[in-house]
Amino acid sequence: MNLSLHNISPKYISVGERSEIWGREFEINSSDHLQVVAPSGSGKTSLIHFIYGIRNDYEGRILIEGRDIKSISHEKKGILRREKISIVFQDLKLFEDRTAFENIEVKRKLNPYHNEDEITAMAKRLGVTSKLSQIIRTCSYGEQQRIAIIRALMQPFELLLLDEPFSHLDEENRQKAFELISEECSKRNAAMLLADLKRSSFLENEKTLSL
Amino acid sequence: MGLKYRDIKPLLRSKRHFSAWVGTLGLAVGLIVLLMAVQMFVNIQDLLNKKAPKESRSYDYVSVTKTITNENMGKDNSFSGSDITRLKEMGAIEEVAPVTSNKFKATVSAGSALPFSSEAFLESVNTAFLDTLPANFSWVPGQKDVPVIISSEFLEMYNVFAPSQGLPQLSEKTISSVHFFLECTGPVASQTFRGTVVGLTDRINSVLVPESFLEWGNKYLAGDTVTRTARTIIKVKDANNPELLKYLAENDLHINKDKVRFGRIKGILEGVVAAMGIFGLLVVLLALVLFGFYLQLAIAKSKDNIRLLLLLGYSPKWLAKSFTRRYLPLYFLVFLVATAVVMVAQYIFSKLSIAQGVLSPYPDIIVGITLVVLLLLILLLNSRMVRKEIQRMG
Repeated sequence: MNLSLHNISPKYISVGERSEIWGREFEINSSDHLQVVAPSGSGKTSLIHFIYGIRNDYEGRILIEGRDIKSISHEKKGILRREKISIVFQDLKLFEDRTAFENIEVKRKLNPYHNEDEITAMAKRLGVTSKLSQIIRTCSYGEQQRIAIIRALMQPFELLLLDEPFSHLDEENRQKAFELISEECSKRNAAMLLADLKRSSFLENEKTLSL
Repeated sequence: MGLKYRDIKPLLRSKRHFSAWVGTLGLAVGLIVLLMAVQMFVNIQDLLNKKAPKESRSYDYVSVTKTITNENMGKDNSFSGSDITRLKEMGAIEEVAPVTSNKFKATVSAGSALPFSSEAFLESVNTAFLDTLPANFSWVPGQKDVPVIISSEFLEMYNVFAPSQGLPQLSEKTISSVHFFLECTGPVASQTFRGTVVGLTDRINSVLVPESFLEWGNKYLAGDTVTRTARTIIKVKDANNPELLKYLAENDLHINKDKVRFGRIKGILEGVVAAMGIFGLLVVLLALVLFGFYLQLAIAKSKDNIRLLLLLGYSPKWLAKSFTRRYLPLYFLVFLVATAVVMVAQYIFSKLSIAQGVLSPYPDIIVGITLVVLLLLILLLNSRMVRKEIQRMG
């Protein structure tokens, strides 16, 4: 998996000279772990959405394995999202009126990397086993965040995009979640791009860029 | 993807809207009207054409005479050779057969058995123009028996008047066993023949004898060698053809109004059925539009979930296909009901006396083809619309 960004900058915000991403060139390859750190409103979510192919309102080019993401059809984007790129959205994007289990299962069934039992195993590790049968809107945001993380780990991927995935977790749960994510990335030899408000202690030895 | 629709069904569930039920009902009604129209069109063709002999199917045979007016009354109103040639050249006329009539006096009598005697007119026409051609309809000079074909209308008329005249009524079968005397008297000679009715015709209102008999009689009994044609029979695809009617009117030619009226009735019937078909098609189209609105509404209601499924990596094509498939059972039910109604209607119609055993109790294959084409068209239109709507969300 090779992801390269060429001089991209959002059309709707003025880009500061000190940014290490906007207007610059950089790439991510298999097993790379990259941390993007920036305060609120500086475009972290936009960057994640540009790479995931949800938004096109930027200048420059984003190439996934040499192909401009803007030129990829809806159908091919679907394949990318099933096989190559997984994501934990900042706003989680869960089905509000379905149970936690159903939310995970709807992703797992699409292209199963793990069997159904692994859902329970991961939920146990993250302390949300009892929440699996609960309607998602009745779970706390922190619980929902952990369900969204488990959902993202159910499929095969070569790049994992994480948009403030631990924002509502305490330190202990952050640690557990990060360990699980790290293990799953290693299993797949996948790259990880973590966008957060501040530098994470888990990735202190990895490359960190600020927006 | 090994996914099944039921995996995402709870995410797309929406209540059937009022417009869906109206659309379904409209589709069923429109479909029944359209299919009935198609079947009725086939029935009309079958009823009006199958009654005629095979070779004359789709042709009309019409008698043409010159219109007698105050101006030409008493003059020679027979067809000349050039008149016949001009008729043959007219595009709408397939063939022309001159009708020859007797120039001698012909009297029909039943002999001493029955007190019946009447003057008769005899005509002959090319046998290719006859709808009935019995094997014994021929005559050679010296033959005492003359075979005769009469209009079936004459037999009907005879049977109406016979009782009041003290004469026996005759059936189509028994008429061939009745022999009569045909007394032919001309200025040159006279001779009496034995006449036998060998057949009945629906096509020409006349008493027909073999051409060879009239040729001989006109020559040897009447001493007339010039053939005069008072009327001709024309073979046309459609006696109601406006071009033909205009030509005939312009040339002061008169035709059998019954034939034209029959053609007009057929035309009107076909027109009514065609209008019914168009109406049915319009109802089907309207129902489809309504159903289309409902589909758009259903998609709009599940919009957030569909968007999320697309974000998770669901294929837009697969989603569209799954969304369309949920209505397949409904379409099949509507089509099944429409087919059943048409089948029952056709069965009942085929048993009516008007059908006279000509109509099949089953709907025509064209009805089946219409049904399949419509079903495919509806599925294609719906899946295209749903695909477009879903792709817009991607």
